[in-house]
Amino acid sequence: MIGGLRRLRLEGGLVLLGTLLCAAALAASLHDWPRTIAAHPWEVAAFALAIAVGEHASITLPGNRAIAPVSTAAALAFAMAGRTAGDAPLSLSGWFVIAVTALSVGVGNGAIAVRGWRVPLVELMPRLIGVSVAVGLARFGPWHSRSVLDLQREGAALLASTWTTALAMLLLCAAALSAHGLVSALIQKGRDHAPLRRAFVDEVHSLGALAAALSATSVLIVTAMVAVGALAVPLLLAPLFVTQSGVRRFAANRVTYLQTIRSLSRLTDLSGYTEPGHAERVAVLARAVGRELGMSARDIVDLEYAALLHDIGQVSLTVPIPKGATVQAAPANQRRIASDGAEIVRKTGVLDAVAVILEAQSTPYRQVREYGEDLPLASRIIKVCNAFDDFAEGARGPALRAQALERIHLGLGYEYDPRVVDSLSRVLGRGSV
Amino acid sequence: METTTPPPAADPVSTRRERYVAVVVLVAVALVALAAFTVPLSLVNWEAFGVLVVLGMLSERLRETDVTPGVALSLTSIMLLSCVVFTGPVGAAAVGAVAPIGVSRGARLVFNSALYACVGAVGGLAYSLAGGLVGHMLHRAGTSGQLALHVAAPLLLADLAQALVNAVLLAGIIYLSNGTPVRQFVRGVLKSAGLMYVGYGVIAFIFVVEWYPARLGAFSTVLVLAPLLVARWSMVQYGDEFRAHERTLDALVAAMETKDVYTRGHSERVARLCEAMAHSLGLNQEDTQALRFAGMLHDIGKLSLPSGLLRASTVTDEQFAQISRHADQGVEMVRQIDFLADSVGGIRHHHERWDGLGYPSGLSGTDIPLFARIIAVVDAFDSLTTVRADRDAYSVEAALGELRDRAGSQLDPAMVEALERALPRTGWEPTQLPPRVLATAGASYDHDCPENSDRLAASPQLVDLVQRGRHGAGRRSVSS
Repeated sequence: MIGGLRRLRLEGGLVLLGTLLCAAALAASLHDWPRTIAAHPWEVAAFALAIAVGEHASITLPGNRAIAPVSTAAALAFAMAGRTAGDAPLSLSGWFVIAVTALSVGVGNGAIAVRGWRVPLVELMPRLIGVSVAVGLARFGPWHSRSVLDLQREGAALLASTWTTALAMLLLCAAALSAHGLVSALIQKGRDHAPLRRAFVDEVHSLGALAAALSATSVLIVTAMVAVGALAVPLLLAPLFVTQSGVRRFAANRVTYLQTIRSLSRLTDLSGYTEPGHAERVAVLARAVGRELGMSARDIVDLEYAALLHDIGQVSLTVPIPKGATVQAAPANQRRIASDGAEIVRKTGVLDAVAVILEAQSTPYRQVREYGEDLPLASRIIKVCNAFDDFAEGARGPALRAQALERIHLGLGYEYDPRVVDSLSRVLGRGSV
Repeated sequence: METTTPPPAADPVSTRRERYVAVVVLVAVALVALAAFTVPLSLVNWEAFGVLVVLGMLSERLRETDVTPGVALSLTSIMLLSCVVFTGPVGAAAVGAVAPIGVSRGARLVFNSALYACVGAVGGLAYSLAGGLVGHMLHRAGTSGQLALHVAAPLLLADLAQALVNAVLLAGIIYLSNGTPVRQFVRGVLKSAGLMYVGYGVIAFIFVVEWYPARLGAFSTVLVLAPLLVARWSMVQYGDEFRAHERTLDALVAAMETKDVYTRGHSERVARLCEAMAHSLGLNQEDTQALRFAGMLHDIGKLSLPSGLLRASTVTDEQFAQISRHADQGVEMVRQIDFLADSVGGIRHHHERWDGLGYPSGLSGTDIPLFARIIAVVDAFDSLTTVRADRDAYSVEAALGELRDRAGSQLDPAMVEALERALPRTGWEPTQLPPRVLATAGASYDHDCPENSDRLAASPQLVDLVQRGRHGAGRRSVSS
């Protein structure tokens, strides 16, 4: 509850900031619009259209975050563009760029919303803030009191500065995209209760390569504009746009993997070894505990898969365990189930990390304290969550859950990691699972 | 694209391949000679040539395998296209010939070099024929109009020419290695990679524009890496799709073989033989894959059977009926996996009999899905040619004899014939299992052996027992 309120405040604050920015930009530039548009109609139209259409080519990342690479690249180029075809100067005021960008983003998303897809306003804020940073940096010269745009305008005379200008623009994009990433991380932190630094590092890992590609594309647009004018915008954005089919295949591949894992997870249910729904419940619990303990997004994915597959080793049993409750089985059997499961999972070739987690899922916590064994955190989490669900048998009532937690407390320190059990108590107390 | 197929087993096939490679090399040399006369070397941008040699070799190293079996996709096509503009056809052929060095070896290296040289030369010739500006002539192209007419349009033509030549030459060697029909391969490749080739043309054009009119010179290489790597990422997704499917299968089969050691290898052999039959029956690429998947997973339902039952040496009628449920159970286990949707029919009906006395639905004749009829034949064949604890493996001829005896009753006669046609190319040998496995399994009951289907056909009560509970007894139309 408290977390939810904090999140609303954070997102509300960001939306307010964005709105103020747009309002200020509109107010400051409105008187200039007719003149600017009349002077450079094709260029402004190309950028505005690219940004609006680019909003449709958005990619949804795991964790339900949406990014719009085409739109972002176009906006960054818009912020930095200083020359157009035939070496003619392109003079666009900073507020003008921000205002048109905001308007195009609004129109693009408005069209999406009309078709029925929800787009949370707060997700547009990283783009807006990123572009504003780019606009600001491009027009205020940090070196030799000349801005990037000034360098561009002089570039016609000095051949050497063509590529130094390009380099400067790359750095500028990097700065703007870092701002983008930071705002995204803030939003993510609000949603997942993850530490901010972890959220930012996750952003960099998953989007770093894309950010580099976007920066380079923006610079390519700006430099190509000198030769082909407004045509540079669709030309350079075409490769990014066409990768949509690659993106669809990427999404389809992920779906295939998830379906495979779910099917593997159901194998023991269908064969009568385990109770239906057990694996999913353990996965939900494990995910919440993992996030709470600050695991990275990648590790959480591995943890979730391991939780879904933790019982698959039971197929090798000749006599099924009653209700598939491994917590009741003899330790030797538990170990064999764990290692058989890990072997099967290794065959997929992509789940080696999961196999490592599964191998150690039955190891008691005391091995860490007594023998200094290195037990992966994910394995400890699965052991606790699995035991909890085996004891509680899927009940949601507080009394039965309290009972299950009690039984786990009996094995605290011996079987189960106290830190993980504490985290589980907190997660259960929040009432969201 | 280039090939990654392994060297073949049989000799006559190998000499045919060598002859084909020699022909391709001669064609490449002829094209280069022709090209040398059309575009003067004075126009070549040597700086760009050097850059493109390096990029060409790099893109070969970064190639994406597993686009379709035996074919790898790489960005070299973009390099060759760019070369066509910066250096003309001779330069493009040179970059192409040099690119696979260090990545491919031996005969494959010779073929890939010759392939790329042909592709580069053809692209360059097409470009010049269409009036394209080469190398230093590009300083003259200032306006967008000139660029469009004298660079973009000819480049598009060169792009299409290159794509076609690449696909056709590759289809030849794939046909000689796998038996995949040429037209099917070319159509399949152009369908799956067609749009990417247009994208390549755009990236090559971008490269040219950034180098010359935008005056970035060699620095444009650094920036152009961005769309290049974005294109490569897209390619990787194609490969990832193929790999995702394979790994799904491996995991499911691993689970099944953990439970029943005796079936180890059986699913894989059935899948391989099914693929060979698909080629001999002329199925297209998608159907071949779906059949392969069905072949790999046809016995997955056995996971739901009690281990005791799998190890029994004889079974009663009731136990037989219990085992027969593995067909439906198998479908239940994989129905949530979308890419297996076309394989479900083959899994469910692989124990149907041509005369309608099979299970689970009692379908007969061509009502039985094609994949199921193929798997039935292959399943029986592999069961016969695998050694058991109580008997030796049948020889290939003896097994075929048994199958021919059952054509028309248990098995589809056309499918038995197709198997006979497909077998010689596979070089099939009877399967021997290690003594350890035989000892563990003992004289356990093999459900796939044709004798058990005979038992089913001979006993009307058993047929009833097995087909009972299927929405009423007796035959019904195809369901999957």
